Amino acid sequence: MQIDVDIPFTRFQLANGLDVLVHEDHRLPSVAVNVWYQVGSGHEVPGPTGLAHLFEHLMFEGSAHVPAGAFDELLESAGATSNGSTSNDRTNYWINGPANALELALWLESDRMGFLLEAMDQHKLDVQRDVVMNERRQSYENQPYGLAWETVAASLYPLGHPYHHPVIGRMEDIEAATLEDVRRFFRTWYSPANASLAIAGDVTVDRTRALVERYFGDLPAGRRTPRLEQRSTEPVKSRRSVLEDRVQLARLYLAWQSAGHYTEEDAAFAVLALVLADGKSSRLCRRLVYEERSAQDVVAWQSGALRGGTFEIEVTAKPEGGLACLEAVVREELARVATHGVEAEELACAAAQLEAAFVHALERIGGFGGKADRLNEYLAFTGDPGYARADLERYRHVTPDQVVRTARRLVDAHAVVLSVVPRGRRDLASNSTA
Amino acid sequence: MSAHPTDVTGSLVDRSLPPAPGKVDSFGFPTVHSSVLANGLALRVACLPRLPLVAVALVLPAGESMLGDAHAGHAILAGDALEGGTSARTGSDLADALEGLGAALRVSVGWDATTVSLTSLADRWEKALALLTEVVLQPAFPHDEVVRVREQQLARLRQRAMDPVSLANDRSAELLHAPGVPYGRPARGTLASVRRFDPTAARTLASAHYRPRGAGLVVAGDVDPDWVTRVSANALAQWEGAPAAGRHFEVHPRFHEATVHVIDRPESVQSEIRVGHTGVSMGHPDYHALVVVNSVLGGAFTSRLNLSLRERHGFTYGVRTGFAFRRRAGPFSTSTAVATDVTAPAVREIVAELTQMAEAGPTEEEMEATRDYLAGVFPLQLETTGQVAARVAELIVYDLPDDHYRRYRDRVRSVSRDAAAAAARRHIRPAQLTVVVVGAADQVVGPLEALGIGPVAVHRRPPGEPAPGAPR
Repeated sequence: MQIDVDIPFTRFQLANGLDVLVHEDHRLPSVAVNVWYQVGSGHEVPGPTGLAHLFEHLMFEGSAHVPAGAFDELLESAGATSNGSTSNDRTNYWINGPANALELALWLESDRMGFLLEAMDQHKLDVQRDVVMNERRQSYENQPYGLAWETVAASLYPLGHPYHHPVIGRMEDIEAATLEDVRRFFRTWYSPANASLAIAGDVTVDRTRALVERYFGDLPAGRRTPRLEQRSTEPVKSRRSVLEDRVQLARLYLAWQSAGHYTEEDAAFAVLALVLADGKSSRLCRRLVYEERSAQDVVAWQSGALRGGTFEIEVTAKPEGGLACLEAVVREELARVATHGVEAEELACAAAQLEAAFVHALERIGGFGGKADRLNEYLAFTGDPGYARADLERYRHVTPDQVVRTARRLVDAHAVVLSVVPRGRRDLASNSTA
Repeated sequence: MSAHPTDVTGSLVDRSLPPAPGKVDSFGFPTVHSSVLANGLALRVACLPRLPLVAVALVLPAGESMLGDAHAGHAILAGDALEGGTSARTGSDLADALEGLGAALRVSVGWDATTVSLTSLADRWEKALALLTEVVLQPAFPHDEVVRVREQQLARLRQRAMDPVSLANDRSAELLHAPGVPYGRPARGTLASVRRFDPTAARTLASAHYRPRGAGLVVAGDVDPDWVTRVSANALAQWEGAPAAGRHFEVHPRFHEATVHVIDRPESVQSEIRVGHTGVSMGHPDYHALVVVNSVLGGAFTSRLNLSLRERHGFTYGVRTGFAFRRRAGPFSTSTAVATDVTAPAVREIVAELTQMAEAGPTEEEMEATRDYLAGVFPLQLETTGQVAARVAELIVYDLPDDHYRRYRDRVRSVSRDAAAAAARRHIRPAQLTVVVVGAADQVVGPLEALGIGPVAVHRRPPGEPAPGAPR
């Protein structure tokens, strides 16, 4: 059965440049409001890190007409929830609620898009700086393996590259952020011209359009972020490092620069990741977890982004197990794909998994990855909000040859190799220089 | 529209007040068609003509709390070992069959039940059901696979002992419950009980607990209930029997007065904090009142605790409270992680907020906002086929009436302030709180003692030994 994964929409633009997308879905009496700003942690370069994410926190603290604390209070007492997230390339915000909360959501979103600074003060900044420092402790520093990926990224992307530093930022930068930094950040990046608004759910286009024009129409346009092209950097020299951590099992991280998102190569890398490590029949899972049983688990994924992509493989050893032999197996299996290719069945299986993921994504109107969020993502990164079908086609059209070429690229390129080992057990690290 | 003369922003729109909320649309939980098959299996069909997807779930009376301590963790392990294949196909044939359906087999094992489920495209649901039936009714539990899942679990237990979140959850469960209460065990079992898992143990468990009486089949999606009934009766006709009698136990606390426990994790930059005591069961008459009380206290983002600890003090990234409603009384617990140097102030705030709630209950204003919040977010928690199937499965696990979710919004809305205050007084007991802190003992013990909540015990254990022992 061929499923249509299209997300139909109506698009219009306000005079100030705000792009608006409306998708009607009347299955439930609910609405999702989703805003994307074209700014992420990558735009902090050069300069202190973590500001984009800290700023995201401040967006929930009230604006000119919304007293401190009222943003969440008004939404929750209307039966709505909200959240936001920051990536290397963008910042997004969503509100999900009953359909009758649409106007409230638009009032809140427009007020913070236009008039955040009127209500900004030192106290708000101080509190959210503490919250974010705690977020950093909770999600990274106090977390087993929590510092691994920022160590890998710092090796994979040279200083000065937008992906060199972690989205959450360095502790000392978060601590040093000033009110003036916050003001400048807002003036530079937060404006209708640099944003897009998607609304999905039990709404009509006409009424939604009238409400959007009412609340967003008179916001000053601001400046559109110059579109940053995908940029490749000097491939890293093979870099090996060892991190001692409070863990029981050693874990190997392998990472390569791969391909930016929405490219053909990006799809081929994604399929390669599924062939290698998705499900029991995948090559690395079968060999390392089920047959040789030298690994606790193995995962692989392609994360394509605006200015380049990363292909990553992560293998956790068995208790007392070392990482060198695991690295050897990973390299052997990559070489096998590069030399002998993949079976048609493996591709069909990967396509079935991807297709299922696309269908499941149609089940939710809001939140991260819901339909409103995806309309904004497609608009921001491909210029076409209606890209869903083409997106799935990208994966369906991946050929065995393309997968072989991606594997070949990984075999030929230098990888960043990180061994995370229990304290005092550097003997478990992988030091081979293959 | 005229400009607002006093408005600092110069906006042409009157933004001074939030727009009045419009009319709230009604929302009905999907109609659930109930029947019982000849072998005693409860059948629940929820029709959702939304997307061409169908979720199928078998709910089995195989919960962790039904097992003796020697077999702690075995329901979870048996669930993991189901992917090892059936009498008709090997594990890898099973994996291929599932992948061919584009469906992932999901096994979730809790204290009260084992749920095995699949979501597939609507035109494949009969195949999905046949496969699911085969997996549950004819598991092979081959030696090799059983050993593999056991070794995986042993490694996972060792990892949990190093992870502050898992450590806090496991130790807090242990310290909240009297010895012998299953809820006090680590949910995945102990090193000793997991080592006892072998093919015989797996088969014994399946034969005793994977039985149609007391079990249920849930089908949710774009289906015709009569057709589902006919197909299911056919597919499951050979399945027979009643499960082994569930283990009877009552829930008692370990301590009868407030105590503080520090699980030493030297050099931690944060403390994982759990504050709670034994709670109530799903069937308790105060259920709806407690849902409201919990939302005000620590369930919603604008809850008292989150506003205090996160938004006023900046102590934490977030804090939550929750009643674990189970077939028997699951715990009430507060969870958060805070910077080491504010551990004692955070505990003081938590205890103060719990005390305040127990003494005075929510305000009328909070009641109003929370009733609307809970009623409003409810439909969005039932958006996907899988979410609806999971809720319908709960009707079976907890013996709830079929109209439980249909009436949920009205029942929550009709909780009065007095009823909420009374429930808070009965079920939040500041004098009996067990405080568990996983963190750097040398920095937090002194300040915690100075709070005067209760005696402070320090628990030190060499890494890699997650088996629970008696507190000092």
